[in-house]
This record gives sequence, C-alpha cells and structure tokens, in this order.
Amino acid sequence: MDELIYTLKQQIIEALNLEDMKPEDIDENATLFGEGLGLDSIDALELIVMMEKNYGIKLQDPAKGKEIFKSVAVMADFIAKNRTK
Amino acid sequence: MKHNVIITPDKVIVDGNELKHNEKGSALLTELYRNHIGDYPKFFKMDTLSKLGFITSELLLNIEGDRDFEPREDRAVILFNRNASLQADTHYQSTIQDPKHFFPSPAAFVYTLPNIVTGEIAIRNKYFGETSFIVIDDYDEQIIMKNLINAFQDPVTTSIIGGWVDCSDEEHFEAKIFLMEK
Repeated sequence: MDELIYTLKQQIIEALNLEDMKPEDIDENATLFGEGLGLDSIDALELIVMMEKNYGIKLQDPAKGKEIFKSVAVMADFIAKNRTK
Repeated sequence: MKHNVIITPDKVIVDGNELKHNEKGSALLTELYRNHIGDYPKFFKMDTLSKLGFITSELLLNIEGDRDFEPREDRAVILFNRNASLQADTHYQSTIQDPKHFFPSPAAFVYTLPNIVTGEIAIRNKYFGETSFIVIDDYDEQIIMKNLINAFQDPVTTSIIGGWVDCSDEEHFEAKIFLMEK
C-alpha cells in the first residue's frame, strides 16, 4: 500500500500541475479539497480521468468522488480494491 | 496611456526598459513568475495564453507599487489577438486524438476559449468591470485603440488593461499590454 500511495502522490502532482510540490509534501491523511491541498472542482474531474487512465477505474457516479477523494490514503484504498490495470 | 509591458519569447520590456532574464520561451514565463510574482500557484495550471496575459498584467500592475487587491468595477480588461486559444485547443485535442487513449482533460478543456485570460486577470485582481477578448486578423493599433476608447463611453469604466496577447504555441508568443486611464 505504501508504494501505491507514493505513486499516487506522484500522479496527482503530475495530473494537477502542482509545481514545486514533492510526494513528501503531501500528507496522505490530509483532506485533498478545501483546506488540504486546496484543490477545486476541475481538479476533481481531472482526478476522475487520472484514475481511469492509470488504473482502469470508471467512476459511474461522479458524486462518489467526494467520498473517494477525501484523502490520498482513502483514494489508494479505493484504487487497490477496484483497479483493473 | 500610463504604463506598458511587452513580452516576446526572448525579450521583456517594462515602460521602455528591458528587464534582465536568463530563460527564453515558455521557460521565460516561469522565470518571470518565480522572480516577480511567486504567490499564485494557479499559474502552473494555466494554458500559455493565460500565463502570458497573467504575467504581463502582473508586471504592468507592479509598476504602480503596492497592490491592495481591493474589489473594483471601474477597471476593464480588454485584450486582442490573432490565434484565439489555438495552443490550448491543440493541447486539448491531443488528449482526445487517439481513440484507444481517449482521456479528455477537463483542466485543458477549460482554457479552450481565448477570453479565459481576461477572466484570470480579473479574478486575480478582483476586477468586476468589463472583460472582453476580441480576435482580429492581425495586430492593428487603430482597431485596438478604437475599441478601447469606445469602452470608456460607459459610465463605470475609468481605467483599462488593454492590448495584444497572442500565442500560437508554447514557445511562440507576443504580448503588448498597457494601462490606460480616462
């Protein structure tokens, strides 16, 4: 799981152009939206695309994103259970 | 016209004085961001047109000294170019070109309109006045000035950030922006 969390942090930084940020700067338990990384609604859509592209996960209900994108750790857990690639 | 800033891939001129820099092209915009702005990470999410307009407007507004970012309605942002949002359009197309790797990027899509750059400048500075983006055949000072002077006809606008912001790709761009007052 630790390896997936680290890879996921790298992929989030790349997908969302979080320049000047390193995986070590992201607390896997911190909230991604709002006060955490301060991501916005476009970032949420980009994360949905990133999950499909890298892990073959199609989110049928985008509203579920709110739960899945709570933190990197929650996201990694969801990916580990649902990935098709 | 109070102040003006010109940025090309290898030159930066602020009120007639060349600004020293090391980089060229897209790297120049990043260098200018790091050396003269640095507190607006959204810059890295922008397309080249918005980066160019944003950086040029920042250098322009920095000439006046301390910035208070107080909301105002009397300053308009009216920009012109030739290539509309071509670089962003091309980038977005690359995310949907291959049917086997069809992953449309929402972050790329939101920049596929040239007037987004006027919005970025307005959001940054809390401007609630007019914003317009006009696509014309070529740089034409007469057309630009005519439109800007017309903008002063409304009872609200007393000041305009106006001019030319054009880019055909990440490495080829030109901005000539000025600050005008009624």
